[in-house]
Amino acid sequence: MSKEAQASVATAAPVSPHAPAAGSAPVVLAARDLRKRYGAIEAVRGVSLEIHEGETYGLLGPNGAGKTTTISMICGLLARDGGEVTLDGTPIDVGAVAAKAGIGFVPQDLAIYPDLSARENLQFFGRLYGLSGARLKTRIGEVLEIVGLTARANDRTDKYSGGMQRRLNIGIGLLHQPRLLLLDEPTVGVDPQSRSAILESIAALGRQGMAILYTTHYMEEAERLCDRVGIIDAGEIRAEGTQRELVALVGEQDTVRLTVTGDVVRAAADVAKVPGVVRADAKDNTIEILVSDARRALPRLIDAAEVRSDVKGVDVVEPDLEAVFLHLTGRALRDAAK
Amino acid sequence: MRMALLIAAKDLRQRLRDRSIILFAVLAPLGLALIFSLLLRGASSFHANYVVVDLDGGSLATTFTGQVLGGLEDAGVATVETLATEADARQAVEVSNAEGWKADAAFIIPVGFSDAIASGQPTSIQILGAKDAGLQTEVARSVAARFADGVTSVQLAVLTLGDLRGAPPAGADLAAIVAAAQQAAIVLVDTATGLRQLSWTTYFSSAMAILFLFFAVQSGMLSLFEERRQGTLARILAGPIRPGTILAGKALGSFVTGLTSMLVLIVATTLMLGADWGPPLGVALVVVAAVTSAIGITTLVTSFMRTFDGASAANAAVAMTLGILGGTFSPTAQAPEAMQTLSLLTPHAWFLRGLAEMQGGGTIADALPAVGVLLAVGLATGAIGFARARRLVAAR
Repeated sequence: MSKEAQASVATAAPVSPHAPAAGSAPVVLAARDLRKRYGAIEAVRGVSLEIHEGETYGLLGPNGAGKTTTISMICGLLARDGGEVTLDGTPIDVGAVAAKAGIGFVPQDLAIYPDLSARENLQFFGRLYGLSGARLKTRIGEVLEIVGLTARANDRTDKYSGGMQRRLNIGIGLLHQPRLLLLDEPTVGVDPQSRSAILESIAALGRQGMAILYTTHYMEEAERLCDRVGIIDAGEIRAEGTQRELVALVGEQDTVRLTVTGDVVRAAADVAKVPGVVRADAKDNTIEILVSDARRALPRLIDAAEVRSDVKGVDVVEPDLEAVFLHLTGRALRDAAK
Repeated sequence: MRMALLIAAKDLRQRLRDRSIILFAVLAPLGLALIFSLLLRGASSFHANYVVVDLDGGSLATTFTGQVLGGLEDAGVATVETLATEADARQAVEVSNAEGWKADAAFIIPVGFSDAIASGQPTSIQILGAKDAGLQTEVARSVAARFADGVTSVQLAVLTLGDLRGAPPAGADLAAIVAAAQQAAIVLVDTATGLRQLSWTTYFSSAMAILFLFFAVQSGMLSLFEERRQGTLARILAGPIRPGTILAGKALGSFVTGLTSMLVLIVATTLMLGADWGPPLGVALVVVAAVTSAIGITTLVTSFMRTFDGASAANAAVAMTLGILGGTFSPTAQAPEAMQTLSLLTPHAWFLRGLAEMQGGGTIADALPAVGVLLAVGLATGAIGFARARRLVAAR
């Protein structure tokens, strides 16, 4: 079987091999053929995915790709135009009140009460999900520990730093120990230190058996956190699988970045003519090249670039999800995100 | 119900932290009721100091000083002192001492006053008013004018008698006729409703309470916009709760806020201002109905708006308009008839009417029509408002 066959390149409803972490664990979330239209714009076009117990699934795509719309339909916050969602086999939609108790939702934007303390926020949302008494008290203590807010638990949250507010935002979602935790870009605007702590907390939840759907446009987060990744663009999942499976879609291609001075655009055009080069894009003072067998092609790439520019630096990058996104969409992920 | 209580309790905790609700629900109405009561306390207990100078000494002058001005003294409306000369009278109203003016107004009866009346000749009573005693002077002027009207009637009667008898009455006979003319021919006494009105203090206490009640209860529905802005509404909706339960929780929070506001105002104005709201059970019924009505109208108004600012402004405009129409700044009884009729479209007027019906000999049963109207308004507007407001919390 070829490497390309191991990951699925989505055309309609992708079905992929389960991640090793998921193994034969039961399916917690099953979403099939989700569709949502806003007027003339079809924001989500037939998205399907499954998440198993203990599996962290990353939905990787630029802003506007349909990640938030998809996650909002999954948690029953947004009415869908088509498709179905089940949680442990129970259908979920906007009216499925009881079934929603099994979902923890961490929205992209902060969703906390600024005039209440972290403890009061947790008390309110905990009771909303049916926790009470000693159980609620215990869980609040545990969550405050997880998100590192124990010392400031009784302070009003409008006195918190952005990172602390983000951590509380996540803590509320996992307070009731849901079967499925939905995290919609939870680290946007978070400082690197807090981001690292947040990612570590989420990884720990996955290890404890929670099914997690994590949307992000940060490739590094998806690589670090997720057992499987679905690459979404323009409302469609273009491919999904483990990181290794997705990278295999790119084949033996590597990414070479040349730092140059001079006529960057014409230099990129010259580089694109070198045999083995799949694409060469000029951006600022770099030429980003997707090429087969980079180490062998490197001298010819430099020669071609130096016809119209001076090469100041060379960087060979092993295939990663960024390269996969480039391969699948023809755009760099970071450019698409802008 | 447990979820609605949870949301209501959370809202109440937030409102206590946001002290503006205390300002709107308690301090502002209490302060205004206090100010209005103090301003009008003098108007509700009128008393004047008058002096009179009788330069005539005739029987008709004595009738005026004894029966007319004496009547004012007997009624406790005025204190009357007799002075000897016009100069004394002028000094009494023009020269102030440490306690203010000696007299608010002076009556000066000229020489020949009685003879002039007996002979059908024109005469006058001079009124001297002190500065800043406009009301007392006007009352003095009215008293003299009322006497003059009687005298005119007497002169007509005297002429008629003179024609019939050949000689006009004089002396004691004439004085008796003049005295009889000062008595009102018909006295209207309304024993059924005469006492069924609120004292000034109670009126302004209850008027300010109902006016600001509409500001106090609007915070519940307005918080939907705030929750939407800060993302917490979406987070709640993603949980195991129905949209209708969220609305019920908001309404419940408003209800408790409104009741608490009214309770604090009733106790405070009773203790601090001496307001008499009426029988507690009846007052409780009227207040509960009024709070229901305020929540219904506020919900309806909010359901038409799309933003916090818009809803806030619309609710404020409606509250003030209904308040003015409903007689919260001046009693509707003093307004033109059309305005009195229009006021019946407002919960404010029915609230004040419900309280007034229990004054005097009124009972709780007398307030029930007002309670019924308030509840009907609240339930009707609330039903429409809640149906419309579901779009504010519904999934998109």
